[in-house]
Amino acid sequence: MKGIQTKWTAEEAEQWTKEDYLTFVLSPLIYFLLALGVALSLLLLWYGWVILAVSLLLLWLMIRIIDPKLKAISREYEKKQAFYLEEMEKISRWEE
Amino acid sequence: MVVFHFLDWFWLVIFIVFMVICGVLFYRLGKRSLSDFFLAGRGLPWWLPAASVYATHSATDTPMWISGVIYKYGMRGIWYTFFSAWCAISAFASTRIFRRSLAYTQAEWQTLRFSGLGAELLRGWIAGWQVFMNMFILGWVGIAMGKLCLYLFGWPEWVGLILFSSLCAIYVLAAGYWGVIMADFQQGVIAFAVIVLVSIWGIIAAGGPHAITAKLEALGEGWRLNPFAFSGVTTGEFPLVWFLTMLVIAVIGGFGMGTAIDWYPEAQRIQSAKTVRDASYSIWAGSALIVVRNSLWAVAILAFFSMYPKIQATAEYEMAWYRLGFEYLPVGLVGFFFAAIVAIHLSTVSTHLNLGASYATRDLYQHYIKPKAGEKELIWVGRISTLILLLGSFIYGLMMQEITQWLIFALWIMAAGIWLPSILQVVWWRFNAWGYLSSWIANLGLSWLVVWVLPEFHLIPDLPDYLQFWIMMALGAAIYIPITFLTKPEDMDRLVRYYAMSRPLGWWKPVREEAQRRGLIAGEEAR
Repeated sequence: MKGIQTKWTAEEAEQWTKEDYLTFVLSPLIYFLLALGVALSLLLLWYGWVILAVSLLLLWLMIRIIDPKLKAISREYEKKQAFYLEEMEKISRWEE
Repeated sequence: MVVFHFLDWFWLVIFIVFMVICGVLFYRLGKRSLSDFFLAGRGLPWWLPAASVYATHSATDTPMWISGVIYKYGMRGIWYTFFSAWCAISAFASTRIFRRSLAYTQAEWQTLRFSGLGAELLRGWIAGWQVFMNMFILGWVGIAMGKLCLYLFGWPEWVGLILFSSLCAIYVLAAGYWGVIMADFQQGVIAFAVIVLVSIWGIIAAGGPHAITAKLEALGEGWRLNPFAFSGVTTGEFPLVWFLTMLVIAVIGGFGMGTAIDWYPEAQRIQSAKTVRDASYSIWAGSALIVVRNSLWAVAILAFFSMYPKIQATAEYEMAWYRLGFEYLPVGLVGFFFAAIVAIHLSTVSTHLNLGASYATRDLYQHYIKPKAGEKELIWVGRISTLILLLGSFIYGLMMQEITQWLIFALWIMAAGIWLPSILQVVWWRFNAWGYLSSWIANLGLSWLVVWVLPEFHLIPDLPDYLQFWIMMALGAAIYIPITFLTKPEDMDRLVRYYAMSRPLGWWKPVREEAQRRGLIAGEEAR
C-alpha cells in the first residue's frame, strides 16, 4: 500500500507513527459504522447494507495498516519479556 | 411463570454439567503458578480473551438495561450502549502500553509507572476499591439472576442468587483463570448464538422488518427507527451535546487506563494474551462483538415495541428481550434459551470472582502482607479470596435494593472526575502519583457537591449528566493540576525504566532523552 510502511525494524516499530494515528481514526469509525450497519441491515434498509460493507472494508484496511507493525513490536518485545518480568517481581517483593 | 418441559430441563442440566466439568478439567494448569491462576500463564491466543471480553460483558442484567433504553428512546438508544467503544482506541494505544508493563493488575501498574509513597498509596487504594467493586458487581448480577428466577419459576430471589454463583465458583476455585477463560469461550459462543436466534425470532414474530417499520409509522412512532433523532442541541431527553459528550468519553478514553469501569477486567485479559499483538486484537474483537450484539438487541426490542407499544412501567419493558425468548420460542428451545442465560451469568460471575481475588492476592496479600510468599501459598490465598468474594456477594446481593442508589452514585464518581487524570497518567510524564491521588479525593468531594448538595440547597439547578461531567472535570483539574506542579516529578530512574519497557505515547520527551542517554533505547540517529 502506497505511503504505508509494511516492513519494520525493531526500533522503528517502537515509535508511534502515522500507521498508529491512522488506526486511532479508523478503529472507532469502524465500531460506529458497525453499530449502525448491523441495526439498519436487520431492518432491511438498503443504506444499512452499504454502511455495513463500508465498515468491513475499513476493517480490512485497518488490519493491513497496523498488523505488520504489531507483529514487529511483538517479535521484539518477546525477547525482553523474561527480563522485565524479573524486574517487576523485584518491585512487587520489595527487593529494590 | 414459564413452564419447562422435559427437553427444556434436559438442555439446562446438560449445559450446567458440561460447563462445570470443562472448567474443572483445567485444575492442573490453574495450580501451576500464580501467573496460571490469574493470567493463564500469559500464553493465550487473541480469540480466547476476545471471547472472554464479550462473554463477561454480557450479563443477566445487560439485556434488561438495553431493552430499557431502546424501548424508551428508540434506535437512538444504541448510543447509550456505545460506551464500549473506548476499546476502539485502547486496543492500539493503552492496551499495547499496559501489556508491555506486564503488571498483573491496574493497581500493580501504579507502582511501575509511579514511585515512592504516592505509588504505594495508589496501589493500596485501587486494590481495595477493586476488591469491593468486584464483590458489588457479583452481588448486582447475582440478584438480577435471582429476580429472573423469581419471574420464571417463582423461586425466592436468594435461590437464584446463591445457586448459580456457587456452581460457577466450583470451576473458578479449582482452575482459576484457566477455568474462567475456557468456560467463557464456550459460554460466549452459546450466548452469541442464542442472542442471534432469539432476536431474529422476535423480529419474525413481529411480522418481519417491513412490518415493524410499517407498524411504527402507523403508530406515529417512525422516529424510533432513526438513530440520530436528537431532541435538540441542548434541550430534551436526548440532546446532541449528550451524544457528543458520550463520543468523547468513549473514544478519547481509550488513550487512558481506568477511564471506564470495564478497563479492570479487560486489563486481566490483556495480560493473559501471549503477545502484544494478541492483546490488541483480543480487546478490539471482543468489543466489536459487543457492538454487534447491542445492535441485534436494539432491533429485537423495536420489534417488541411494535407488538407492545403501550407499556409504561420500566420494570415491565426492561423484560422485553426475555419475553421475546420465553413467549415466542417453541418447547425445547426455551430450556436452551435459559441455558444461554445461565451461560452469560456464569461468564460474568467467574470473571469477577477471579479478578477480585487477583487484587486481594497479588496486591494486598503478596505486596503488603507477605512479599516472600511462595507460589503454592499464593494460589491458596487466591482460592480463599475467591471464596470470601463469593460469600460477600451474597450479602451485597441481598441488600442491593437499599444500596443501589448510593452505588450508582459511586460508579458515576469513578467515571466523571478521574476520566482525564486516567488519561494523563498514561500520556504525560510530569503527571505524578500525588496528582492522580488528589484527583480521586477531589472527585469524591466535588461529585457530592455538584450532583447532590448544591442542587439540594438550590444553589445550582439540577444539571443534566453531560454538564455534570464537564463541570466535574474542570473543577477537578483546578485541584490536581496545581498539586502536580507543586509536588516533585516522579523519580527519573523509575520513569526511564518504565519508558524503556512500555514505550508510552504522548508527552515523554525528557524521559525519552534520558533513556537514550543511558543507552536503554536507541537514539534518534539509530532510527
